[in-house]
Formats: sequence, C-alpha cells, structure tokens
Amino acid sequence: MAIPFPPRASPAFSLTEKKVLIIDDMPDMRSTIRSQIQNLGIKNIFLAANVREALGLIKQRSFDVILCDYNLGNSTNGQQFLEHLRSSNIISRATLFIMITAETSFNSVMTAAECMPDDYLLKPFTGETLKLRFERLLERKARLAVIDQLQDKGAWPEIIRACDAIIASKDKFVIDAMRIKGNALLMLNEVEKAIHFYEEASKLRNMPWAKLGLAKAYKSNKQTELAQHLLEDIIKENPRLLAAYDFLGRIHTEAGNSDKALEVLEDACKIAPQSLARHRSIANLAEEIGDFSRVDKALCVVIKQTKNSPLRDTKDFVRLLNALSETGELERADNIFKEAKESFKEANEVRLFAATEAVIHKKNGKNDLAKKALEIAMRHDDEQISAETNLAIAKACLVHGKEFEANQILKTLVQNDPDSNKIKASVGAVLKNYGGAAASDQLIADSIKEVINLNNEAVQKAKAGELTEASNMLSEAALRLPNNLQITSNAALCILMDILSNGFSIDKSLQAKRFQDAVAKQDSQYPRLAELVALQEKIQLKYKNT
Amino acid sequence: MGFSELAVLTIHDVKNNLAQLVAAAESRGDMASMLVAQHASEALTRLLCYYRSEAHFLDIVVEPASPAELIDDLIQALANHLREHQNIKLEIDLSQAPAISFFDKTLIQMVLANALQNTMRYAKSTVQLTVIEQDAHLEICLRDDGAGYPEGVLTDTDNSPVTEQGTGLGLRLARRVLALHVNQGRCGEIILSNEGGAVFRLILP
Repeated sequence: MAIPFPPRASPAFSLTEKKVLIIDDMPDMRSTIRSQIQNLGIKNIFLAANVREALGLIKQRSFDVILCDYNLGNSTNGQQFLEHLRSSNIISRATLFIMITAETSFNSVMTAAECMPDDYLLKPFTGETLKLRFERLLERKARLAVIDQLQDKGAWPEIIRACDAIIASKDKFVIDAMRIKGNALLMLNEVEKAIHFYEEASKLRNMPWAKLGLAKAYKSNKQTELAQHLLEDIIKENPRLLAAYDFLGRIHTEAGNSDKALEVLEDACKIAPQSLARHRSIANLAEEIGDFSRVDKALCVVIKQTKNSPLRDTKDFVRLLNALSETGELERADNIFKEAKESFKEANEVRLFAATEAVIHKKNGKNDLAKKALEIAMRHDDEQISAETNLAIAKACLVHGKEFEANQILKTLVQNDPDSNKIKASVGAVLKNYGGAAASDQLIADSIKEVINLNNEAVQKAKAGELTEASNMLSEAALRLPNNLQITSNAALCILMDILSNGFSIDKSLQAKRFQDAVAKQDSQYPRLAELVALQEKIQLKYKNT
Repeated sequence: MGFSELAVLTIHDVKNNLAQLVAAAESRGDMASMLVAQHASEALTRLLCYYRSEAHFLDIVVEPASPAELIDDLIQALANHLREHQNIKLEIDLSQAPAISFFDKTLIQMVLANALQNTMRYAKSTVQLTVIEQDAHLEICLRDDGAGYPEGVLTDTDNSPVTEQGTGLGLRLARRVLALHVNQGRCGEIILSNEGGAVFRLILP
C-alpha cells in the first residue's frame, strides 16, 4: 500500500511477536490505534480505558510496548502514571513506554531519566509512522539490552566496559552510553573518575544530565556546597529540569535545612503542579518542622488528584489527618476519616489509621474510642510495617502515656537507619512534640551508640578471624534492623567471608543473598554492593567443582 | 472556563477525530481523504503551538537525536503529501550528517514538514534536502528550482505576512522555535535566500 520512502533495512527482530498495551480514555481512539497495530501484524494487543485497568493488565503479564495517551480524562495523566510505574518498579527497563500527545509542546518537564517516556508520538500518526518508530525503538533496546541486563545485576565494571565500546564507535547511541557510564561510575563510588568524566562530557556540549551527574559526584565527594551551587546554576539555566530540584531538595533535607528544602520543592511544584511526588515531599518536610497548615494544603492537592485512582495512597490520608488534628479542624478530620476507611482495608494501613485515630480521639476526649484504636495499632502481627507507621504508633503511645513502648519503637527506628538525618529528624520531632527535647537527643544518641558498638565489636571479631561468631552477631542485628544498610551489608559481607574461609554452606549462602537483596532493594547505589558481588564471584570460582 | 482553554480542548477533540479519519482512510487505501485530514490536523498542531508560544511560553526539550532519523521520520510522515507531487524529484543527501545532534525532535520535524511542503509546491522539477555539520552547528537545507521567494518574504523577517496558504504563520512559528534552541550563547535561526530557486536554511547551534 504505502511506498517505502526511502527504503530501510529490515530489522533483526520480529515485530509481530510483541505484546502491546494501549491506554486511552476515548473508546474510538483505542480501537483506531488497535487496528493500526493489527495492520502491522501484531496480534497480542490489550486495551485499557484508564490507569486502573492498565495496572490490572500490567500486573498479569509483561508488555514489550505500552502506548499511553497523555490525557487520560479527569484524574491521573500519562506522565503521573509513568512515574508511578517506574518508581514502583512495576515495569522493567525492557518495556517501551510511548507517550501519545496532541501537542508539540504540552507539559514537557524533565524528571529523572527513568521516568521519561522512551518516545513521544504526535497525533495523528499513520500506521507506517508507528511501524518506523517501533522498529527504531526496538533496535535501540536491542543495542542496549546487554547493558540493561548488566544494570539489573548491578555489574558496574562490565557496564562501563560495554559503554566504552559504544562510545568508541561514535554511533547514534553514544549519548545513551555516556549517561549510563556516568551513572555506573557514581554507583561504584569512583568519585574522582566520575567528576572527571562529567567535566569532559560538559566540555563536549552543555548537557543538563552531565551537569546533574557532576553535582551528584560532588556530593559523593563530600563537596556539598559545590554541588549545591552547581544545582542552583542548573535550575537557573533549565527551570524545567525537575530532577535538579529534587536533588537540591535532598541535599538541603539531609543537611537538616528543611526550610530551604521546602522552598526548592515549592518552586518545583510551580513548574509541575501535577507531579504528586513533590507535593508529598513538601508534606513530609512540613510535617517534620511542624508547619501543619502547609501539610494540609499540599496533601489536599494530592488527595484531590488521586481521587478514584489506584495511585491514591493511605499515607497521604494519615498525614492529612495528623495535620488536621494539630490545627484542630476535627470536623474536617471526621470527613477525611470516612473517605479513608472506604478506600483502604489492608493490615499495615489499618494500623496506621488506628494509630492516627488513637491520637485524634484522645485529643477530642473520646477516651474509650481512643483506647480501642490504640489496641489495634499496637497489635503484633507478622507483617513488616513501614517507618511512617512506626512513627505514628510511637506518637499514639506517647499521647496515651505509654512512654516505654514509644521509646522501644523509636529506638529501633533510629538503629535501623542511623545515618539518616531524616529519620533522626522525624523521631526528634515526635519526641519533641510529645516527650520533650532533652529526652529526644538522649534517645537518639543512645540508640546510635548501641548500634555502632555492636557493629564495631563484630568487625573486631571478624578481623580476629572469628568470622562465624561475627556473622551470627551481625545477622541477628540485621534481622532486627532490616533497614540498617550498614549492618545488613556487613552481615552479608561477613557471611560471605565466612564461606570463603570456612567452607561452603547453602544456608549461609542464601542468607547472605537475602541480606544483599534487601540492601539493593532499598538503595541500588549502596557502595558496598559492588564488594559483595565481587566476593560472590570469588566464591563461585572457588567452589565451582564441589 | 475561558475561551482559550475551551479552544485548546476543542482542538484536542477535533484532532482525535482527524486521527480516526487518517487511520480509517489509510486502512482502506484512500490517500486523498487521508491527505486532507492530515493537512487539517497539521494546521491545528501549528495553531496550538503558536498559541503556546504567544500565551505562555513554548517549552522545548533539546535532546540528543539522530538527524538521519529526523529526516526518515519527516519523509515517512509526509509520504502521502510527497506522492501528490510525483513530478518533483526529491534528492536527499545525508552523507555529511553527524550521527548525533541536539534539538527538539517534534518541533523541528513540524518546522521542516511545513517548509518541505511549501518547497514542493513551488519547485519546478527538483528539491534538494541536505544535512551538513559546519562550524559546530547543524544545517538542514531545502533548495528548489522554482521562482524563489517573493521580495516581501525575504526582507520582512519579523512580521512575515500570514497568507491564505498559512505560510506566514509557519515561518513565524519556525523562527520562534529556532530562537529557543540555544547553545553557548548562540541561537538557532532560519535563513531564507534566493539562489537560483528558493533556499531554506535551518541552523541549529
């Protein structure tokens, strides 16, 4: 039918076997795009009218291509949906996400690279255009597939080698390879090499990603002020580069400068009012510094925007309820409670709400209801509960005069993540508001000292060759403090060293892997991970034949 | 809701309808209807883009992109229009094109699509499309063997007249889009000249 013009080489993969998902709220558009894709010989085509349907389909099977209209009706838009999919790891790097837009320039904000679509398609497009884009994107995926797999494994030195090969070839993937290489250097904590690499890249051309990478490298190199100034320059030059605001906000937050962090995030919200992540960050920070009317304002935006959307999150409700109880707007709190209870029914969230309820009822003088709620909140079950839930329960305990229980919870929280100023600030804020500032500093200091001593003692033992004992100590601590990355990674390290010198055991090996995975899941950039991978390779080599 | 918001929503709706028409016409091989629907939709895209550049500001995303792929996309998207001008020979020379350059893919394709259609309309027999890299900038050049641009278009660079064919709007928009492409203090630009026929140069820094 159509004349190929000019002729192109046929691709090395089969288009017809691909699984495609089309998301569009207009029924006519869905069927139009479906028939265009059918005409390309593709049979596995699924349709979704909204985000909820799409999520249902995505959770059942993996897709090669997701075609999503930017405008999805009233609630969630395509960009919000993509951010949710990528940041919650619901779709892998292998899935292509193509955004369909009606305009050349709609709301083109630049967020983190992984939250950007693989391509944009401007309406209307012909079947031929669709085919051309599919083939090109799949060619790109195929070229970068090896690197993607290495990234999933966290094999950074190999990634750098693979990227160098592409960079040397000077083909059209050279910038992709450079971005991945820079990131790999950061992951390996090769700070000086990373700084040099990004400086050289910036000499080639003023590219925002390279400057952002440089800022990250400065921060890893403890040159926080330099990183901060660079980020401010980047934002001045590229006011739509949201990733720069996010990173600058993170630097301010980690340094304990909540006011400055809030200012930066508010600026980002003006650029991208529909991005949920930033409104949520604002609410978190405002909560920590006790600015509850700001919490109220930010979360009302989120709750309104996630109405009838699966992106709706219990935590938003709990925080808003807290804020309303602080500002004394109890009538509004009652209404929000009703809305929340209709929407959420899972165990972890139920405990969160119960803790919140325990505080609000107590404040209202409804002591019986408050007591009943506290019982539910403190009910022990096997489910892992989040830091937010723990903070809420500790707060409820303090309000109900259960100081011992509250302190136990808060101590575990600090020990779980002793390097995090954020957790310390949250714990400090809860204690300050409900227990007194002096108690707060003491508890945080004691908790940290305890866990440092434990770690030091284990390291001493390991150095003295008592590897089994050291790994037992660390394993016990890691199970109690699953979010303490230092303890958990040291536990994995110690077990692996134990295996290397005292012989292979499948149980030990599995335990080490579990700890390693737990670390990687929480922070894929954690510096010690590379060491663990290297050690495992050594073990594999040593015990290959047994 | 103000008129402009209503207009934007309406244009989106109409573009959806036109997209359905384009797809339906393509599937039954009705190239004539497809062409009309595509023309209408392109005009609306430009109008929206012009509105954004007037009202708020036009946001561009300058990203690394392959000039060869840009031309590939352009020719693919205009395949139907080009078939209407089968007597005109389109010569494409990408031999001097770099593997990667930096620009907003969607906007530059829109600008080029408008320019290429215009050139095809006025050429006698040949249109040459060349992409070269020169002094660290990318130059995309469209050259025809027609009568050349009328004097008014060449001299009045800021206020190109909006003609019945809408070429003035296209050119004004093209200049705005290029002005937003900035690198090391240098802006992109459109240079029109008559050298035998009409020559349209798009310069990306």
